[in-house]
Amino acid sequence: MKKSLALSAALLAATALSALPAAAENVITLGASVQMTGATANTGRYYKDAYALAVEKINAAGGVKVGGKTYKLKLDMLDNQSDVNLSVRQYVQLVSSDKVNFLLGPFASNFVISDSSVAEKYQIPMVEGGGSSGQIFSRGYKYVFGTLPPAGNYYGSTLEMMGKLKPTAKTVALVAADDSFDVSVAKGTRKLIKKAGMKIAVDESYAENSSDFSSILTKIKAAKVDSILWSGHETEALNFLRQMKQLNVSPADMYAFTVGVPTADFRNALGKDANYAFGMTTWLPDASLKDKWFGDAAEFAKEYKAKYGYDPDYHAASGAADVETYVYAIEKAGSLNPKKVRDAIASSNFDSLYAKVKYGSNGQINLPQIVVQIQDGQLKPVYTDHFINKPMYPAPAWDKR
Amino acid sequence: MVLAQILLNGVLLGGLYGLMALGMALVWGVLNIVNLSHGALIMLGGYVTYYLFTLAGIDPFVALPIAMVIMFCFGFALQWGVLNLIVRSKMLNTLLITFGLQVVLTFTAQLLFTADFRTINPTYAGNNFPVGGLTVSVVRLAAFLVAIALASILWFVLNRLPLGRAIRATAQNLTAARLYGVNPRVLYAVTFGIGTALAGAAGGLYGMISNLTPYIGASLTAKSFVIAIIGGLSNPFYVIFGGIFVGIAESLTALYIGPTYTDVISFGLLVVVLVVRPSRAVRAA
Amino acid sequence: MKRFILPAAIVIAVFMAFIPGFASDTMIQFWINALLLATLAQAWNILGGFGGYVSFGNSVFYGLGTYGTGIAMATYHLPFGVGLAIGVVLAVIGAAVVGLPILRLRGPYFAIATLGLNGAMLAIFSNLSIANKNIGLVLPLTRNDTMFYELSLGLLVLCTATVWWVSRSRYGMGLIAIREDEDAAGTMGVNATLYKVTALILASVFTAVAGGIHAYWFTFVDPASAFDSTLNVRMVIMCVFGGPGTVFGPVVGSFVLSAVYEILAAQISTAAALLFGLVIVLAVIFMPRGLADVVGRGRALSWRYFVRNITENRL
Repeated sequence: MKKSLALSAALLAATALSALPAAAENVITLGASVQMTGATANTGRYYKDAYALAVEKINAAGGVKVGGKTYKLKLDMLDNQSDVNLSVRQYVQLVSSDKVNFLLGPFASNFVISDSSVAEKYQIPMVEGGGSSGQIFSRGYKYVFGTLPPAGNYYGSTLEMMGKLKPTAKTVALVAADDSFDVSVAKGTRKLIKKAGMKIAVDESYAENSSDFSSILTKIKAAKVDSILWSGHETEALNFLRQMKQLNVSPADMYAFTVGVPTADFRNALGKDANYAFGMTTWLPDASLKDKWFGDAAEFAKEYKAKYGYDPDYHAASGAADVETYVYAIEKAGSLNPKKVRDAIASSNFDSLYAKVKYGSNGQINLPQIVVQIQDGQLKPVYTDHFINKPMYPAPAWDKR
Repeated sequence: MVLAQILLNGVLLGGLYGLMALGMALVWGVLNIVNLSHGALIMLGGYVTYYLFTLAGIDPFVALPIAMVIMFCFGFALQWGVLNLIVRSKMLNTLLITFGLQVVLTFTAQLLFTADFRTINPTYAGNNFPVGGLTVSVVRLAAFLVAIALASILWFVLNRLPLGRAIRATAQNLTAARLYGVNPRVLYAVTFGIGTALAGAAGGLYGMISNLTPYIGASLTAKSFVIAIIGGLSNPFYVIFGGIFVGIAESLTALYIGPTYTDVISFGLLVVVLVVRPSRAVRAA
Repeated sequence: MKRFILPAAIVIAVFMAFIPGFASDTMIQFWINALLLATLAQAWNILGGFGGYVSFGNSVFYGLGTYGTGIAMATYHLPFGVGLAIGVVLAVIGAAVVGLPILRLRGPYFAIATLGLNGAMLAIFSNLSIANKNIGLVLPLTRNDTMFYELSLGLLVLCTATVWWVSRSRYGMGLIAIREDEDAAGTMGVNATLYKVTALILASVFTAVAGGIHAYWFTFVDPASAFDSTLNVRMVIMCVFGGPGTVFGPVVGSFVLSAVYEILAAQISTAAALLFGLVIVLAVIFMPRGLADVVGRGRALSWRYFVRNITENRL
């Protein structure tokens, strides 16, 4: 028992010692805790790599100029192991003992909800590109900014496109996971479907992390719907599509997913079964998106792929835009004062490899979704507010491919 | 017709559920180890099958027995080298050590295989055929048949072969087992190896129907629990029936109440079965 | 040395009350978490350590406490104290209603039933409108980590004091008798059902309050984090690592494991969870009776102790 008491004493001593200050000269430190390991590491890596690449690029171009002095950016990045509790502690560590200047976000809405509370508590800005749930931006927080658009309008452009395609789908099966983000998507989509004059024939929600969709698919098959609009997570999208084929469920016209379709993983895992699937992205590596540091989005994608060995998607672009937001805002504020920088972020207005970055009054960006489709194994942009490429439509039944 | 199709889905999926639980029930019944790392072993079996398929180009159904042999060796080593050290410890300690193993296996898998999700996707994975208006998925039917076949083999081994008699004797009484002239350490390792091989087979089939990530283990352990308890630990066929029962119950819940309620039903069933019929849960093999 | 333990513990507790005065914010975060976890481990100790009933359902009470506070504060805008009270009431009712049928089960079957119960509760709360289904509840933000720290410390002290009382009372003797041989305890006149149910209720109170504090501190509640079976496993590990059925073992065990986890996470992030798993495996093999038993041996401790543990338990 004595030894264990000594052990506790040592712990307490460590507590006392850890209150050491950290100083830095001509360095602006951006702090982030992202999922490098654990269940969501698969998407977390986009943020880890995009943050690092953007910082490297900005430093190579000379860094950040504030009031005649030049600062280099430094990244203080921790691994939250996909553990929300740990991520909150790490953000507190970043702001209170590592004394980072500003914060970048983690991936996923539930992490951002909890972690952004730390930013708000300490009144240090957090620009995040990983969470878009309405719960993050409806709390009246002043220090949280998001570069993913709101969930409710995800299917806006898809439904607009569906109205212009012949034969026009009349009935829709809406399938959504039951988490915060996907419930918001479903809610928004229901209104959009009604507005488009279509009928919801099947409306099902399923528990997050489900792996079997056979019951929902059987219902959809029986309802003989024209289209399926689906919202959930990437692994579930994959399972859903595979099981569509296994149970021979093919809607008359088309099916679309909120996630999965733009990623290379999805195409690799499914092979030619991925063809015809519609998806959406806020971002494509397109040369028309000009950027101060990378030239344009296509260049960014090329450098990213060369450095990390896989293609970036909108998560990565959104993460890079978060870093750039700070550079623009700090230079505009001419100061490292969190409050001043916060105000400068709020009035951001710049072109980037990701999009034109401009935050709404609640702190969230608003962007249209680009409808994409997998055609012969290639990801093709199809529609924004006009057709970019001809969609392969209607999707043939599985046995007629 | 919807109901018939949903019942069919439930039965086919239930067969695989049963196979998942088979190894757990065997290890539990014979060694009295409630193996919390069982789901992680299923996950590993899935990855072994996946790599045999993608790297060596072996058809997944051919790869399945190979994966089972590999998993048998792994399970044998695990019991021999680690679990045999604590077999006579308290039940709580076996729970903890297998939980620890689960964590170790999961994160080792992440380091080795990355967090990317994998699917075992042979060209025929999506094939199906109609039977009287119902759609039957080839892979799901095959998985069901494999489950039945493995349960039959296990039943035969346990009831007709000397090895099986020795295993069953161990379950009754460790000292009596020595009379069979078998070294109990070897016997324990063999039994755990068989359980692991069965988990491996379930993992390979799971990868064909769903997908693999290093993190699927915990939820598969929970599912195996439910089925092992509902089926009982006494007979391989009962475990398969338990799986089919849960498969049907989940499908009907998804149809009539809603897909978000399936866990309420399966975990609710577990509790109810335990409370109402505790006699069902007796240790035997 | 036994008589020094209690005064030393009191001195440490008093000292700890002053930690927020000088420690960094990060340390406070660490300690709030560690204190809450220690409370959970200590509460688990009552039925698990003394009574020998391995519960994987304490996370049910944690979840009820979490949601009691969450629903009260987020949905009805009631004060924090009321939320805590609602959480405790829910948990006590839950413990009484559930305890009676489930505590008839023994050994692994009790453990599995409680595990199932947690799974069922998780699924039920994912479908409850009042709990905002699987979307979760956002609580108001409070900038007062010192308050959360002192509350957590106070709760742990109270919980430990309760366990100390249990360890010295007839009631505790009864629980130990049940652990050693339940049938014999019955014939000796111990009302086993009453003892077990009250132990579960006692544990549920502390567990629910810990959940409530965590909810308000964290400002977000959702089913997966409220009814988290790995959290329950952590309680068990911390208690067992420290020494089940002892007064201070679970507390020290939690502090040590929390620190180990934190250091691993900070130093070698990627392999941290893996090493944590290894620590558990090795601890079960080499010190199956927990840290308290190891340090309790004092100078008599040698490598033979660890070897003996293996030879005693191996096949």
